[in-house]
Amino acid sequence: MKASYKWLKEFVDFNLPPDKLAHTLTMAGLEVEEIEEFEGDTIFDIGITPNRPDCLSIRGIAREISAVLEIPFKDITVKIGAEEGEGPAVEIESPELCPRYSSRIIRGVKPGPSPEWLSKRLESCGIRPASNIVDITNYVLLELGQPMHAFDLDKLTGGRIVVRQAAGVEKFRTLDGEERKLPAEALLIWDAEKPVAIAGVMGGRNTEVSESTLNILLESAYFKPSLVRRTSRALSLSTESSYRFERGVDIEAVTLALDRAAQLIVQTAGGRVTRMTDNYPEPFERGKIRVSFKKISSVIGVDIDGAFVEKTLGNLGFRVEREGEGIAAVPPGYRTDMEMDVDIIEEVARLYGYDRIPSTLPTMQMSSPPEHETQELIKTLKNSMVKSGFSEVINFSFLNPDALEKLNLPPDDKRRDIIHIRNPLRKEESAMRTTLIPALLNNIALNLNRGEKMLRFFEVSRVFLPSGGKLPDEITQFAAVYHKDVTASIWQDKHDGFYDLKGTVENLFLELKIKRYSFERGASPVEPYLHPGKSCSIVIEGRKTGSLGTLHPGVARAFDIKGDVIILEIHDIEKIREAVPARITYVPLPRYPYVERDIAIIVSKDTTVAQAEKIIRGTDTDIIESVKLFDIYTGKPIPEDKKSLAFSIRYRSAVKTLTDSEVDAVHSAIIKSLEAELGAELRS
Amino acid sequence: MTPRPSITLWKWSKKGMLNDIESIKNLAQDDIARAGSLKDINDLKAKYLGRKGLLTRKFSSLGSIPREDRPRVGRILNEAKDFIESLLKKQEDIFRSSELDKSLRTQQIDVTVPGCFIPAGHLHPVTRVLDEISAIFVSLGFTVEEGPEVELDYYNFEALNFPKDHPARDMQDTFFISDDVVLRTHTSSVQVRVMEKNSPPLRVIAPGKVYRCDADVSHIPMFHQLEGFMVDRHIRFSDLKGVLELLIHRVFGRDTSLRFRPSFFPFTEPSAEIDISCVICSGAGCHVCGGTGWIEILGAGMINPRVYEKAGYDPELYTGFAFGLGIERVAMLKYGIDDIRLFPENDKRFLEQF
Ligand SMILES: [Zn+2]
Repeated sequence: MKASYKWLKEFVDFNLPPDKLAHTLTMAGLEVEEIEEFEGDTIFDIGITPNRPDCLSIRGIAREISAVLEIPFKDITVKIGAEEGEGPAVEIESPELCPRYSSRIIRGVKPGPSPEWLSKRLESCGIRPASNIVDITNYVLLELGQPMHAFDLDKLTGGRIVVRQAAGVEKFRTLDGEERKLPAEALLIWDAEKPVAIAGVMGGRNTEVSESTLNILLESAYFKPSLVRRTSRALSLSTESSYRFERGVDIEAVTLALDRAAQLIVQTAGGRVTRMTDNYPEPFERGKIRVSFKKISSVIGVDIDGAFVEKTLGNLGFRVEREGEGIAAVPPGYRTDMEMDVDIIEEVARLYGYDRIPSTLPTMQMSSPPEHETQELIKTLKNSMVKSGFSEVINFSFLNPDALEKLNLPPDDKRRDIIHIRNPLRKEESAMRTTLIPALLNNIALNLNRGEKMLRFFEVSRVFLPSGGKLPDEITQFAAVYHKDVTASIWQDKHDGFYDLKGTVENLFLELKIKRYSFERGASPVEPYLHPGKSCSIVIEGRKTGSLGTLHPGVARAFDIKGDVIILEIHDIEKIREAVPARITYVPLPRYPYVERDIAIIVSKDTTVAQAEKIIRGTDTDIIESVKLFDIYTGKPIPEDKKSLAFSIRYRSAVKTLTDSEVDAVHSAIIKSLEAELGAELRS
Repeated sequence: MTPRPSITLWKWSKKGMLNDIESIKNLAQDDIARAGSLKDINDLKAKYLGRKGLLTRKFSSLGSIPREDRPRVGRILNEAKDFIESLLKKQEDIFRSSELDKSLRTQQIDVTVPGCFIPAGHLHPVTRVLDEISAIFVSLGFTVEEGPEVELDYYNFEALNFPKDHPARDMQDTFFISDDVVLRTHTSSVQVRVMEKNSPPLRVIAPGKVYRCDADVSHIPMFHQLEGFMVDRHIRFSDLKGVLELLIHRVFGRDTSLRFRPSFFPFTEPSAEIDISCVICSGAGCHVCGGTGWIEILGAGMINPRVYEKAGYDPELYTGFAFGLGIERVAMLKYGIDDIRLFPENDKRFLEQF
């Protein structure tokens, strides 16, 4: 709402320069968002909160200034000269939608340009002047906050008004020339035959005031706020009128505005005014709101004097009666936001000054809030990833549906079952994500594109999967992506990045004390967007919990990524939490020394390390403490279809010091098993 | 090599014996002081303490002195031996370490070659700020709660006293999934969910993602908020002021001042917006604060009794406060970030600064 400093001063004779006045308004809850100069005047742009429609006018803001500064309010005086003839015939079919409709006819007007004072006033408050009659209606809207409308009386069939819902009328051409599709419940203003305005939103082209207009019918009404709002939204048409009606105008000031407009029209465009028709079947009654001084003080937190309460509310236009140690107050008609005691308490606090209220700290019983295990886990996980060199990203929860195509997801993949946003800003953000991967790949692509190298990112965020109920399942997932750059450091080794990320996961599990996990390859590829030869499932305690693998080169291309990306995904962080041991149990340190023996075997190339290790560990003994792979070798003199694996095996007994022959026996048993089960040859 | 000493050994006299020992000690001391290498030290060891060493020979002659003198002379001999040994040892250590030093000095590495490590990653600035603020409230006994991001209209609006078709809903541009399902526009949606499941007293924070259908230079459609609320008997507006002051002072420092302005939120009454003195210009006025010296940072107020009614609390019995904080906004002020769009972009060079 734009308000002119000079115009406000006509209502309250304050003695404050513009910047001080702006501060006063802001601290009273009318936030001055901008201050600008306009031809010797100062214009404030004030953010009026939805609860204060009474401040959507100069008069309303002035009233507020008067109450805050305790300076008398000088209201306008309205005088209609001699009235000539009956007012217009008005019929309201649905008084619950239009509780008040007042009108007058003005005959013999001379439409033309507005006088300069009027044009300037409108311009200063951001409204473009048109011609005198329309300008006056806008002037009264700014001055009093009451939207007005002038019809060309001679275009109103039957010269009468009916307020009635759209009922079958589907199209209507508004003042701005647009043909609009009407919602069925829209309230319309009709003449004897046809609709002539959309109540509270905009008048019709068919009865518009023009240069040749002689006689007008002037409308000042109150329409039900929620209806105006629904209509305005259905039409996607928000006007100065609808903005005020949907917040609630002052029903008691409807006729004041009508008279004010009539007076100004006669002054500037001439004409003779009829009597008023004021259709107001059930005059509005405000009830009393009661509140005790004790409650006021206890909610605010400072002792507030009863006399201060009475005086403040009086200044704000309440009718206040003292009732024992409290008050009963009737709010003025324009304070539609006053409904209960806390509303009154806010008024008192506001005028007392929030800044004068002390700062205290609440006293409260001690309690021990339950530990949020998942949040703690996420914290540990994030810190572990950071230590391993990964940076956290936070991406939008949105998904571009095209990304699912790029990921090669088959039609029956549950991640294709996406939740769409009805009113997205753009297609790229038109659904809720069912996977974290596309966004992470976009992070890689963006950073590569900007010349960044050695990219390690992870994200812990929710995905949204249909649940069958109203709300989707929101599952917290964890994913990491790794784009390796072997030139990033002089120490960088050249091995496959897959093992870097695998090591990161293993280290994470070590930190979380998760022990029973494995990396497993099934018969079919684990994910359609992963390299079928370089990917696997992550299995924790027998459950498939995630995947690890190199991005499929075709998918990389679709995401504009050059080079290998390694991906880690944990499908549900809760599954990890369940595997984290509840407590740590100390195992006594060994009392006897260990014996370490190395073993190097030549096996066929497709034998896995896990296969060999399983055989070693499967030996029937309890003295194998650990088995550690320390070398893989291919090349001469190993035959081409073979490789050599070297393990270091640590033997230890819990009850005695092992002798060489005891170790030898087990060690040879291991060699025998490897020979028998893998066709392994001992490498000398 | 030093010349052999000229000491007469054949004729016993107690005095002569003791003098001899003293002379050997002095001679050894001089020899050791003149030694120039480990080899000299080894030669001197042989000269004095070897099988035919000067002092060793004195030990051999012990048998030829009167019985009653033996213990005393023996003790003096042993002292002399310890003395010479310790001098030799000391000098030997000096030679050994200096010779090691000499050889180590030839084995130089280039200490300016960069170290070998995986550079640590970085937490997103939003996480850093959220963690910091959560920790403050957890230390005050607040519980951390979460709620769904895809939320019923009821919890996001209706239960918070935003009636349908009310202009208050315009305060938040909303993404819709269906008529009664929205992307939550604020973490305040957690309030009634928590109240439905718990009875007062309540001390809760609810951090999380929120969504607004708005994107331009200063708005992103998804950002983070932290909602806090407290419900008990006798919670006052002044308590709200105190708690928020504590928060701001912990996050931005004790010199930061706060300004409470009346405002409007349907779910609080009285409501306030809180400005802090500009952390960039300390209140003098700059582009960040629009020249006013103040920056809006929080919305807050006393929980509206209508919210208690929805939750089934007795509004005559309980009062409480609620506040909401924009995390990106705090991060921008804390770290001097000038563009909110950097947060969802995840440029490595941005992330690496936190
Ligand atoms: Zn500033």
